Amino acid sequence: MSAEIVIAHLYPREMSIYGDLGNVIALRKRLEWRGYDVVVRPVEVGEPVDLTGADIVFGGGGQDSGQLVIGADLLARGESLRALAASGTPMLVICGTYQLFGHGFTTIGGSELPGISVLGARTVGSTVRMIGNVVVESPFGRLVGFENHSGQTTLDPGQEPLGTVTKGHGNTSTGHAEGARTMNVIGTYLHGPILPKNPRLADHLILTALNRRFGVTELAPLEDAVEHRAADVAAQRPQ
Amino acid sequence: MPLWFTLAVTKAAAMSSRLLGRGGGHALPGLIAERLDPGLAGRLAARLPHGVIMVTGTNGKTTTTKLIASILEASGERVLTNSTGSNLKRGVTSALISAAHLSGRLDATIGLFEVDEASLRRVTGELKPDHIVVLNLFRDQLDRYGELDTTAALIGEGIAATTAQLYLNADDPLVASLSRYAPRADLVHYFGVEELPPDAPDVPQTASDSDRCPVCRSRLVFSRTFYGHIGHYRCPTCDFARPTPDVEVTEVTSADASGSRFTVAVGGERTAVVFPLAGTYNMYNALAATSLAHGCGIAPAGVAETLSTTVAAFGRVEELTLGGRTLFLLLVKNPVGLTQVLETFVSRESAPHVLFAISDLDADGRDVSWLWDVPMEALIPADAVVLTTGIRGADMTLRLHYAGIAADEVDDFTVAVERLVREIPVGGTGYILPTYTAMLAIRKMLAQRTSMQEVWR
Ligand SMILES: [Zn+2]
Repeated sequence: MSAEIVIAHLYPREMSIYGDLGNVIALRKRLEWRGYDVVVRPVEVGEPVDLTGADIVFGGGGQDSGQLVIGADLLARGESLRALAASGTPMLVICGTYQLFGHGFTTIGGSELPGISVLGARTVGSTVRMIGNVVVESPFGRLVGFENHSGQTTLDPGQEPLGTVTKGHGNTSTGHAEGARTMNVIGTYLHGPILPKNPRLADHLILTALNRRFGVTELAPLEDAVEHRAADVAAQRPQ
Repeated sequence: MPLWFTLAVTKAAAMSSRLLGRGGGHALPGLIAERLDPGLAGRLAARLPHGVIMVTGTNGKTTTTKLIASILEASGERVLTNSTGSNLKRGVTSALISAAHLSGRLDATIGLFEVDEASLRRVTGELKPDHIVVLNLFRDQLDRYGELDTTAALIGEGIAATTAQLYLNADDPLVASLSRYAPRADLVHYFGVEELPPDAPDVPQTASDSDRCPVCRSRLVFSRTFYGHIGHYRCPTCDFARPTPDVEVTEVTSADASGSRFTVAVGGERTAVVFPLAGTYNMYNALAATSLAHGCGIAPAGVAETLSTTVAAFGRVEELTLGGRTLFLLLVKNPVGLTQVLETFVSRESAPHVLFAISDLDADGRDVSWLWDVPMEALIPADAVVLTTGIRGADMTLRLHYAGIAADEVDDFTVAVERLVREIPVGGTGYILPTYTAMLAIRKMLAQRTSMQEVWR
C-alpha cells in the first residue's frame, strides 16, 4: 500500500477559471511521479465535507457571480479553514478565493462580501482591469503567470506578500507587492496556471504536506526541463 | 461632408494599405470613416433593400455566416458580408465601404455580418439589423471582455437597441435568457436539438461555463448535456427552463468524422439533412442557419439542399493534400472549441498525428491558461504523435507533459508542418490545430505550397 495525500479542492464548479484546474493537475502528477497516491476531494457549496483530513487546500478564481454563490458557504467553513491554516497546512488560493481568504471584498457597487481572514488582506473593486503577464521575485524564486482582475488588494501592516512584481501589477495597480503569505498559506493573483510553470512553488506545497503527514524532509528531484522552458518563454512575453 | 468624398478617401486608404501589404486593408477604411463620418455605416446599410442580418456568439460565427450566405445566395439574394476576422465595428463598416460605389449605391440586396460579442451593441444601434442570430456563449479571450455574464449583458444591450427578429440557441441557458432583452416576445425564435444518437461519446466536462440559472443563480438541473453547458435544463427554484424550439433537430441518425445526418423540424414539417461538416458544434451552426432561413421565408427543403452541397466548398479551405497526406486545419480558440475538435477528429483515431500551433498575440487571446481547462488526458490517445509550435508552443508541450503525452516542440511553423507531414504515413491524415494568428501564418505558408485557396481577400 502506498502513501496517500488528500487535496481539498474548494468549489471546483464555481471557482475554477483561466486554467486554475492545472494547479490540481500539477500537484497530483508531481506527487504521483514520486510514488504517492492522491485523492482530490471537491468541496462544493452546501456539501458536508470534513476538511480535517486535508493535506493541501486549493481554491481558484471565478466570476463575480461565482464569488457571490460561495460566499456564505465559505464563511461557514471559516473556522475549520483557520484552524487548518494555524496548524501549518499548506494552502494555495488564487484570485477570487485569495480575496475571500482575506478580510473581504467591497464590490464597485459598494456591497460587502465578507472573507474568512486567514490572510491579512482587504480587497476593493475598481474600474482598472489589471490584465497581462506577470513576473514576481519571491522566496520560491522567479514566479511567472497571467493576472486578470479588477480588485485592488491592500495588505495589513505586517502581512507578508508572496513577492515583488517585476512585470505586471500584482495586488494593486500602483504598488509592487504580489499576493500574501502567512505560514504555509499562499494567496496570489497569478493564473497561468501558476504551479505547472513554477515547480519550485508546487514542490514547496508538496514537501510541506509530506513533511506534516509522513515526516518526509526531502523530495526526489524531477526533470522539470519542460516546466522551465515554458516559464522562460512566459517571462519574456510583454506585459 | 458629401458621401462620395468619404467613400473616395476611405477606399483610397484601403487600396494603399493593400498595396503596402498591411493585412488586406480590412479595418483601415472603417477606422477612417469613424473619424470622417461616424454615421456612414448606418446610411449605407439603410440602402440594402432586404435589410441586415447579424450573427454573434463565441464559437461558430464564421461557419454559420458562410452557411447563411450560401443559403441566401441560393434563394437569389446578393449578399454583402464582412470577411473572416473583421468582426469588430470597423470591420463591418469597411465591408460596407468596399462594396459601395462612389455614389453610395450597393449592388447587394442584403447585409450579413459576423459580429464580435462585445461589439454587437456598437453596431446594432447604427445598422438597425432586421435579424440577429446568437449561437452560444463560452469563455473565450476573457482578457478582452471580462466575464461571461458581462458578455451576455453586452449582447443584451445590443438586442435591446433594435426591433430585430432574434434567433436564440434554446440549449444554451445564457443565450436563451437573452430573450428578456427583446422589446417584444413575438420577435424571439429558438432553435435546439432534441436528442443525439445514443452512441455519442461521453466527453468528460471540465469547468462548466454557465450551469447557473441566469435569473436566480440556482444550479440548473440538466436532463441532457450535448457538450459544454449545451443541453436540456431547467431551474429547480424559479420558472426558468429550456424554451421549446421553433426549429429543432428531432433525430440524428449518424454522426462521425464525415459529418452528420439528421432530421430538422420546422413547424410541422420534417426535412432530412445530410451535413458534411463533422461535430455536434457544427450541427448547431447548420441549425442556426436553418432557423434564420426560416425567419427569412426560405423553405427548409432548399436549405437542406444548400447545406449538403455548399459546405463541401467551404470544407476544402480546411482540408488539403500535401505530399500525399491529408491535412485538416482546425482553428482552436477556447476550451470548449478545442474539446469539440479533439473529440470529433482526434480522440477516435488510433495513433493520430497532431500539430498544435499556440500563439498569444491579441487576436489569439493573450492568456494561454485555458489549455489546462481541456481534458487532454481523455481526448488524446496515448499512441498519438504530437508536435507543438507557436509563440507559446512550450505551454502546450507542458500541458501535454502533465497529461502523460510527450510532444516535440518545433520553433518554426514551416518546419513544424513539414515535420508533421513526414511523420504521417503516405495516404494518411494529420491535424493542425492553430490559434488565430498561427492559423493565418500556416494558411499563408500552405497556400504557397498547395492549391489551397487563401481566405485572405
Ligand atoms: Zn432560477
